[in-house]
Amino acid sequence: MPQITEQQAGAEAMFASIGDGAITTDEYGRITRVNPVAQELLGFTEAELIGEWFPKIIVAVNFDDSTIALLDRPITKTFLTGKPVVAKLNYRHKNGHNVPVSITASPIIFEDKPLGCIEVIRDITLEQEIDRMKSEFISLASHQLRTPLSAVKTYTHMLADGYMGKLNPAQKQSLATIISASNRMNELISTLLNITRIESGTIAVTPKSFKLDSAIEDLMPELGLMAKDKSIKLSFVTRDSYSTSLKTDSLIFKEIVTNLVSNAIKYTPRSGTVTITLKPRRADIMIEVSDTGWGIPKYSQDQVFSKFFRADNIIKRETTGTGLGLYLVKGLIGALNGKIWFTSEEGSGTHFFFSLPRQHRQPAKPK
Amino acid sequence: MARILVVEDDHDLNKAYCIILKHEGHEVVTAYDGKEALEKLNNFEPNLVLLDLLMPVMGGLEFLEQWEAPKKNKKVKILIFTNMENSPEVAEAYKLGASRCIIKSWTAPHNLARVVSDTLHAKEIKAKPTKAKAAA
Repeated sequence: MPQITEQQAGAEAMFASIGDGAITTDEYGRITRVNPVAQELLGFTEAELIGEWFPKIIVAVNFDDSTIALLDRPITKTFLTGKPVVAKLNYRHKNGHNVPVSITASPIIFEDKPLGCIEVIRDITLEQEIDRMKSEFISLASHQLRTPLSAVKTYTHMLADGYMGKLNPAQKQSLATIISASNRMNELISTLLNITRIESGTIAVTPKSFKLDSAIEDLMPELGLMAKDKSIKLSFVTRDSYSTSLKTDSLIFKEIVTNLVSNAIKYTPRSGTVTITLKPRRADIMIEVSDTGWGIPKYSQDQVFSKFFRADNIIKRETTGTGLGLYLVKGLIGALNGKIWFTSEEGSGTHFFFSLPRQHRQPAKPK
Repeated sequence: MARILVVEDDHDLNKAYCIILKHEGHEVVTAYDGKEALEKLNNFEPNLVLLDLLMPVMGGLEFLEQWEAPKKNKKVKILIFTNMENSPEVAEAYKLGASRCIIKSWTAPHNLARVVSDTLHAKEIKAKPTKAKAAA
């Protein structure tokens, strides 16, 4: 049947010409076809791959270099669910180095019967390098913007604290205004840089196991200084019924806690209390930040996580906020696959809760 | 009062820290990068080093890697003063012996004096968590 042979040859030629790597398997996961791009990307020849069991010969590792379990492999998920699976991971090249790839594993269905799987593999080395450069730029920009600001703040404080001689009340008041404005600018730099990272999808999530209670303890000196300035009692409680260890990004975790606690301090009158409670549970760890502050009016509660939102009762008392803090916190928690919620009563205070799952998965890239 | 080495590349900030710490009665020696700091340490034995991380010539981390004293003498305190909030560099500095880390742009002079004093006397401001057993 020459016509079929011609069609087959055409299909083979098309398969071989795909610009990304492509590998097909039979219904048992044994490799049946490999195009030249996949061979080059993984360092194996066609002869070395054909007939081999895909998950065995092609080793998949996470970006932190941990091996991906068989059940978590996209190809396994495709076989189990019959649906396409998209993922970003490292494939191990034959010579041992990792190749960052974006893959789509799809089932091959013919007349309603599963015949196997096709995996399309794209090398994202360049994409990752650009992401790394973007993050590096943002980090450097943050540092560079803050350096002159530090000098402005330090010298203003020195003037205000009398290091350069005695001041009259009007001079003191003027300096207090400069200090307050530079604090706002500092806060704004932090927030904007973090929001840029989240919205551009360049926020780096590096999951590692660490003890959440120790991470909060590390933050206490800094947070304690903020609380002391307003005579607020800041305390930290751990309820250790389950392990306090979690595999997540410790730096982002600290950023979230710092934001929630500094918010609580900001929106609590002098001599109030702010309490951080860590509640490890079986499937997740929950953190509560509660305050005896002004609270959020009921009618505004559904807008709390919106960009630039500020509650009416707060605008009257604190004119300096940006309305970006909780929007940022929600984005950061989303990057860690967590959830955030709160309860609040005007005049009594607010309880913010967030939970982080014990099992970390790669979050979807933000839009 | 203590002997303090200030390592900060920004001349304005370096001068400011020097004024603040001298005002508190400390003996202060300054350096503008890690290399100069190592040289100054040949003739000066500090109780505390106030150290910036991102500096030209030799940064704070490289300085900590090269300086042998804290590895032998745990009494030398290292106070990191940086604007690289929540960065891997800060985590690395702790591994290399830093006692504490403070964000420059958030710290007022009176707080700097207080943090230096607390660090020197090894008084942690850290609030110890109260451990409460969860109800069964």
